[in-house]
Amino acid sequence: MAEPSEPRAVDRLWRIWPSVAVVAIVLTGALLGILIIPVVQGRSAGIDAFTAICRALGILPGSPASPQIPNRNPPTPVSQVVWTPSVLQILAEAKPERGRAKVQEVCTACHGEQGVSVSPEFPNLAGQSGTAIYKQLNDYHTGSRTNPLMTDIAKALDGSTIADVAAYYAGQPMRNPNPYTLGAPDAIVQLVELGDPNRNIPPCAACHRQGAGGPIDAPVLAEQRQEYLTSQLKMFASGQRRNDVYGRMRAIAAKLTDSEIDGLAAYYRAGLR
Amino acid sequence: MRNTERLCLAHLWLAFAAFVGAAVLGAWQMWVRSPLGAHTGTPGDYYMSVTAHGVAMAYVLSTFFIMGFGYFVAVTALNRPLPGKGWAWAGFVVGVIGVLMALVTIGLGKASVLYTFYPPLTASPWFYLGLVVVVLASWVWCVLMLVSLAAWKRENPGRPVPLAMFATVANAVLWLWTTVGLAVELFYQVLPAALGFVQTVDVGLSRTLFSWTLHAIVYFWLIPAYIAFYTMVPRAAGGRLYSDTMGRLTFIFFLIYSLPVGLHHLLMDPEHGNSFKFIQVLLTAFVAAPTVLTIFTIPASLEIAGRLRGGRGVFGWILALPWDRPMVLAAGLSFVMLFFGGLGGLINMAYGMNAMIHNTAWVTAHFHLIYGGTSVIMYFAIAYEIWPRLTGRQHQSLAPLRWQLWLWFVGMMVMTLPWHWLGLQGQWRRVANFNYDNPIIASWGPLVIVSLAGGLVLLASALLFVRNLAVLHRSVLPAPTRSLYALAVDPPRRVPAALNGFGLWNVLVLVVMLLAYGFPIAQFVVAPSPSAIVHRTE
Repeated sequence: MAEPSEPRAVDRLWRIWPSVAVVAIVLTGALLGILIIPVVQGRSAGIDAFTAICRALGILPGSPASPQIPNRNPPTPVSQVVWTPSVLQILAEAKPERGRAKVQEVCTACHGEQGVSVSPEFPNLAGQSGTAIYKQLNDYHTGSRTNPLMTDIAKALDGSTIADVAAYYAGQPMRNPNPYTLGAPDAIVQLVELGDPNRNIPPCAACHRQGAGGPIDAPVLAEQRQEYLTSQLKMFASGQRRNDVYGRMRAIAAKLTDSEIDGLAAYYRAGLR
Repeated sequence: MRNTERLCLAHLWLAFAAFVGAAVLGAWQMWVRSPLGAHTGTPGDYYMSVTAHGVAMAYVLSTFFIMGFGYFVAVTALNRPLPGKGWAWAGFVVGVIGVLMALVTIGLGKASVLYTFYPPLTASPWFYLGLVVVVLASWVWCVLMLVSLAAWKRENPGRPVPLAMFATVANAVLWLWTTVGLAVELFYQVLPAALGFVQTVDVGLSRTLFSWTLHAIVYFWLIPAYIAFYTMVPRAAGGRLYSDTMGRLTFIFFLIYSLPVGLHHLLMDPEHGNSFKFIQVLLTAFVAAPTVLTIFTIPASLEIAGRLRGGRGVFGWILALPWDRPMVLAAGLSFVMLFFGGLGGLINMAYGMNAMIHNTAWVTAHFHLIYGGTSVIMYFAIAYEIWPRLTGRQHQSLAPLRWQLWLWFVGMMVMTLPWHWLGLQGQWRRVANFNYDNPIIASWGPLVIVSLAGGLVLLASALLFVRNLAVLHRSVLPAPTRSLYALAVDPPRRVPAALNGFGLWNVLVLVVMLLAYGFPIAQFVVAPSPSAIVHRTE
């Protein structure tokens, strides 16, 4: 039988050495990863030791192993809308009741009190996403998008009123948000659901369906006016409308044929599948 | 005891029910990605299916299998009744509710965000709440494992904890550590976003927190396979475990080195500097240590068995092994898949080579081979081994069991080897469909069809597995009473305290996690980066 003190001595060794080994492994990694490799790599790229270490830690931008070329091109945004947390908070706190008063004052004549427009060249706004309406009104306000009627109206609105109006129309129900589109040609359904990879056209549904994965300001297209959609797609294709970030819609619309534009507009008039 | 057996069976059957459903979805996904099924269904259908497949396989199959098996080990290895059986049943019921919440939400199309979440995509809160409930249920299991161990130690002071239970508790402790990252991500970032309290989410932080969970969770899934390697395979082969100490060290290595390594999933992510990526890649290399110990110890144990059975020469003992026994066969097949999967893993963890295969089908192939192959084939073998004990009935024939294991092995190899190759060709992962009109993508077509064939073989094997268990429930042969767990060549009479508990190792995990993850997480609080807009997919 072992002496009682002997197991305790073994236990102590088993406490000390694994601890030393595990911590030594991590510290070796830190020595190599934080000090030695960045300094050696930085030296061959002409970067001083301190900068190289800060870059390796991610405190300064850039790889420790290569000089950084600064980008001096000024940005030229097509839209002034930036989805900062404060803008999103304004939208989240918007008041539809306040929006209703403004809507009755200025919007109803064309877009209808419930967001069903009075004439085919004006878009329906019922059930449209609040972020989409906010972006378009703001773009009219700043001149990123122009329209003989809308520009002057939007210039008179401030940010929180725009948010209220957006919230009001977003709260109006679509009559039929997800109807089956009957009778749409297969080619059009294909374009909506799968796009056309051979022409680098992504599926419309990737962005323009409720809950889709695209930019949050992409409008829902279900039950939109056919004439309005046709005219907007043609304006994107010609470059006459240019408030789409990264030129996404200009790139897509320019690749669509006239009959595809007509087909898609007809498809969306009825709604999404 | 009957009640404990029902408890184990309830967990295991829930796990395998989710498994079969997910296997059907998996085969469908292989079909729509192949040239044969192109243009079937919409991308929305595909992502819904992938989410359900991932949640069912990664959260339901794994967690409930491990819980059921853990209760079984606690009772059979410690030879004492399970404490807190009421709590265990309550955990199970709560877990079932959580699974239903998550799966129904997915089925309604309100949670197509994949099982790894990908903020700023945000699903219905019910999806996350369901998974939170599943995790809570699994924590009940963890606590019961710790309570069982403590009670046994009180009754047996100074005696070494049986290896099977030591390893099971190692896994419970690992799981408690593992789920911290996920829990913080869900409660601090994802749920507030899903509930509409915040409009932006720091994606760098959420990816970092998920990486904490993401690698360790794989070892949580893998450890049952290693428990079988160390405690069941040597006995099934008719030999002894070569070294009990090697076994204990293996599971301790898993606990320490599977946690502070998650940044190797973020090698292409810009929010971390190279230093901490390097440190964690170095630590990742040490995850190989338990596997190296195992590929030495288990073949040595099998060699003992082979030579006892009359095997001679350098390789003769391999032929002398009882390959007709499901546990031995599964271990052999599992080792082959571990070999290929492990080699692929070495590519993934290397900074430079990872750049070639990052976000390609290579990665999908790798984790299917390691989890679906190496681990899950041992889940089958464990089920075949313990089902007679749970039901009191014996398999009438082992042939369908062997068929099922072989089909799973062949299916997994045929599916994943071409998949690896396609990844090297640049085939993307997480993509709903491929345009086979494109000449480069068209050249992938034949190999995609081959891997589809592998997927169909896997589906057949999954169905055969459930059939084999269902048949056993009606078997008239009584189960023989025999010991399940292997004895060591040199059974330990006393082991150092460090190899008999987890106090020291928990302290070391804490220290290493602070060193490896402290700065990478703290930087998001000290100098917040621009956040992404929450994108609700409901």
